Amino acid sequence: MREGMRFDLVSLASGAAVAALGALVLLDSAGAIDLTLGWIAVALTAGLGLILVVSGLAGDGAPRHD
Amino acid sequence: MNDETTTPQPPARRLERSSQNRVLTGVSGGLGRYFGIDPIIFRIGFVVSLFLGGFGGLAYLLLSLFVPTDGEPDWAQRFGGRLQRAGFWRGLGMVLLAGLAVAGLFAIAASAALAVGLGWGVPVGIGVIAIGAVLVLTAFRGGRARWLIGPAVALVAGAGVAAAADLDLRGGIGEREYNPVSAQAIPSGGYKLGVGHLVVDLRGIDWQKAEGVNLKVRLGTGQADVFVPESVCVSGPTHVGVGESEVAGERNDGIDIDHTAGVGSSAQPRLDIDARVDIGQLRVVNSDTAQVDNPGYGPGPFHEDTAPQRAAEAKACAKG
Repeated sequence: MREGMRFDLVSLASGAAVAALGALVLLDSAGAIDLTLGWIAVALTAGLGLILVVSGLAGDGAPRHD
Repeated sequence: MNDETTTPQPPARRLERSSQNRVLTGVSGGLGRYFGIDPIIFRIGFVVSLFLGGFGGLAYLLLSLFVPTDGEPDWAQRFGGRLQRAGFWRGLGMVLLAGLAVAGLFAIAASAALAVGLGWGVPVGIGVIAIGAVLVLTAFRGGRARWLIGPAVALVAGAGVAAAADLDLRGGIGEREYNPVSAQAIPSGGYKLGVGHLVVDLRGIDWQKAEGVNLKVRLGTGQADVFVPESVCVSGPTHVGVGESEVAGERNDGIDIDHTAGVGSSAQPRLDIDARVDIGQLRVVNSDTAQVDNPGYGPGPFHEDTAPQRAAEAKACAKG
C-alpha cells in the first residue's frame, strides 16, 4: 500500500470473497441450499486464490530485493 | 517448480539449495548434488520422516531458511536472512510469534466449526458477511481493517467446512453403547451422538420374530459401529461427510460417501438403516463373531479382508 493511496483493492477483494463465502454458510445453515464438501472446497480455494492474486497484483508481499 | 530431472550430478563443494532440481525449495536437489546421490532418496526420506515424528519436516524447514540457493534468492532465503540479521533470540521470537499466529488461526477455524456444529450456523454466517462488509467499507479508507483478512478467512473456512459436512454436535459427547433386545426397544428417533464413539449392537434381538427393524443413526464426529447378525440383510442409505464408510463389507473412504445397501432386496430378516456420520467412521458389521471392544471382525486387525461380510450380505439379501 503506497502512502497517500486511499483505496485498498486487497481489502475490497477480500471483503467480497469473505462475504460471498459467508453467504454460502448462511444459506446452507438456513436450509436454502445443500452445500457439499466438494463445493465448499472449490469455493474456499477460489476465494483464497482471489485474495492472493489481488495481493500479488497490488504489489504486496515480500520485498523484491534483499 | 522447475525441471524435475533426477539424474545424479557431480558433487558440489558447497552445500546450496538447487534452483533447477526442486520440488519445494530445492533442499533435496542441493543435498543430492552435494553428496552425489539421487535427490529422490532425500525426498523419500523427508516425506517418510513426516510420519515418524516430523523431525524431517523441521530439518527441511531449517535447511530451506538457512542454506542459500544457487540461483536468485527465493522467499525462504529472504526470510532466513531476515532471521539471521535479527539475531538468534529475536529470530526465535519471530518464529514463535508466527507459530502462535498460525495456532490462533486454527483456533478461530475450530471455534467457527464448533459454533456451526452446535446449531449457530445462521448467526455465524451473518457475522462472516458483516466482517466481509467491514473489509469492503474500509477498503475506501485505505484498508484500515486489513488485519481482519486472516482471521476472517480462518473463520469462514471452519464454518464452511462444518456447514458443508452438516456437522451436528448437539447429541452429546462421549461413548455410548446400546444393546436393544427387541425392535420396539429402539427409539423411533434412533440413536444420536455429537462427538465420540457410538455403538449399537442389534445381535441381541430375536430376528426371526422381529424381521424388519428400522434404525436411524446420527453422529457428528467420531466412530459409529452397528452390529447385526450375519443372517440379516442390511438395507438402506448411509452417508459419511468426511472419513470412512464400511457397510456390510463395502468399504469406501473420502468425502461425501453415499452408499445404499441391499438395493432391490425384500429379504427377511432385514435391517432398514438410515445412518449418517458427518466426520469420522461408520461401520455396519454383519458378523456373529465380531467383538464390540475389538475394532476388527473377531480376531485380526481392523483392515482385514471384508469379503466374508460381503458374502454374508449377498446371501442374506438374496433370500425371500
